[in-house]
Amino acid sequence: MNTAAIKNPSWFKKIGLTLLLLTHVFAFSLVTSNADAHDATKIPRLANGKPDFSGIWQTTSAADYDLEPHSNRKDAPPGPGIVEGGEIPYLPKALEQRKKNFENRATDDPALKGFTLGVPRGIYYPEPFQIFQRARDLNIVHQFGHSVRTIHTNNTEHPEDPNDWWLGDSRGKWEGDTLVVDVKHFNDKTWLDRSGNFHSDALQVVERWKFLDPNTIEYKATLTDAQVFSKPWNISVILHRHREKNFQLIEDYRYTLDYDQYYPPKPDQK
Amino acid sequence: MDSNLGKRQHAFSNLMLSALMSASLVSVAADENTTSPAQEKKPAAKPVETAPPAQTRRPREKSFPTIASGEWTGPKLSDGQPDVSGFWSNTIGNHGNLTDPQGGVIGEARRTPLGPRDQRAPSRVSDPADGQFPFQPWALAKVKEFQVGFHNPTYPGHVEPNARCAPGGVPKSLYWHGYDILQYPGYVVFVFDNGSRIIHLDESKPHLPEKLKLWNGDSRGHWEGNTLVVDVSNHNGKALFGRSGEFISENATIKEKYIFANDRSRYNYVGTFTDPTVYTRPFTITIPAIKYTRAEETDGWNLEARWAKHAGKTQILEHDERICHENNGGFGIGSAQR
Repeated sequence: MNTAAIKNPSWFKKIGLTLLLLTHVFAFSLVTSNADAHDATKIPRLANGKPDFSGIWQTTSAADYDLEPHSNRKDAPPGPGIVEGGEIPYLPKALEQRKKNFENRATDDPALKGFTLGVPRGIYYPEPFQIFQRARDLNIVHQFGHSVRTIHTNNTEHPEDPNDWWLGDSRGKWEGDTLVVDVKHFNDKTWLDRSGNFHSDALQVVERWKFLDPNTIEYKATLTDAQVFSKPWNISVILHRHREKNFQLIEDYRYTLDYDQYYPPKPDQK
Repeated sequence: MDSNLGKRQHAFSNLMLSALMSASLVSVAADENTTSPAQEKKPAAKPVETAPPAQTRRPREKSFPTIASGEWTGPKLSDGQPDVSGFWSNTIGNHGNLTDPQGGVIGEARRTPLGPRDQRAPSRVSDPADGQFPFQPWALAKVKEFQVGFHNPTYPGHVEPNARCAPGGVPKSLYWHGYDILQYPGYVVFVFDNGSRIIHLDESKPHLPEKLKLWNGDSRGHWEGNTLVVDVSNHNGKALFGRSGEFISENATIKEKYIFANDRSRYNYVGTFTDPTVYTRPFTITIPAIKYTRAEETDGWNLEARWAKHAGKTQILEHDERICHENNGGFGIGSAQR
């Protein structure tokens, strides 16, 4: 074979070309296998082909302590904030209210009463939530309060005569592999974080949920509220899938802690 | 509609507060099956959007069919579970009285006399055969004390915890308001008006450590044909069974069967409770339930869902967020301390 190759330079060329091709194929396969990890086809999907966000998720960010950039405080770790541009564009009067809220945060944060966290706070609150998903909707169970939020993905619309809800009314649509959710009809009783950032009942939130990889969701939201903010503003946070073995939500109905000692009756109780 | 729930709760809360303040209001402690004067004073701020013009109200059942455990011949979900998703409700009464569900709250003044016992729905206790809870003497004494204290509380434990929007727990959540059953691969999820309950179908997943005690316990289950079989541990025993005050301790274990009819119109809950701390023997509670398929049948209590707004032709039922504690009025000793 060697002799033949020497005698026939075209053989040599052919071998060289084959080697070159093989190398290319190998190099390409490296690239593609690397790309596979980020390939959109590898994310979990429902039978209808839509991304399947089912699972237990949680942020590692310090967003709930303060959405805006903040140094460490006695009651908060430092954080760069998750607001695009850094600051929330409050109207002057609303900014005064926000300052008051901040001063009184140790008592006035509705979450301290175990109240439903609202949208988007429940998403970046530092307790896990579980997404249960099927074609017609996503149901989000928050460990905190075990409150349940439904995002309808069945082409239904916001109701015509809505109430003001704690979690608003969520209607989702798919834009490619991104779930876009329009949330409105809120009440004004929830805060956006424990530092006193707030909203009115005119709040509208548009969320964008997208897989970065099978175990990571990029969550973005645009908040609009003409009574409180001078313009819409955006937040962005990463959600991580809980992968600990046998991880599960544990109900956290902390509003019962003030009185649950009185139940049930006990033999030695007078 | 949940603000309606909130208002109902608020009205009830005010009643509880009144009851705390004054024994003279005993007679207005509202049975949720009727509208109390206090409730009438607090109409919904907005008309219920979905209240249809021709609203009908389903009567309470006085008896109900037995459903045999067996094969499932109805529709299945892609993971093989019988498809029983939807809005469900108990059929014979709420949590006023466990052993005589249509007999009114024990110790409450009645507007009309009760007829013969056999003309009302049977006790929810289906075993023992006498329909009574097999209490140990100390526990029976506590229940009797509660039944008096419920109308004139002298101790925080006399307030029925559900009135404070504590989760109804097991099994009471199933005869409180209507609720959703949601199903996903590996899970059956109950969403109640106060609280929610996740049943894990992966039984290789161990129960939570024993030290953790929960209002709704920790549930593992599997399907046997038409029957969802569930094992409940980690129950905190804090949710009383109803206004008649029956209870279990945190040492109880519960084996549940949810036996569904193949036409998916109804199921029977059959739960066996074992608790040597409180009872002399295990006992069984049976709760009949029906599936709710018509928004026109709303009654603002058990059956409350509405038609979704959409351009399509099929009718889609949906339910507003289920919120209780946040909409509840200030009342009771717990909140007074806040």
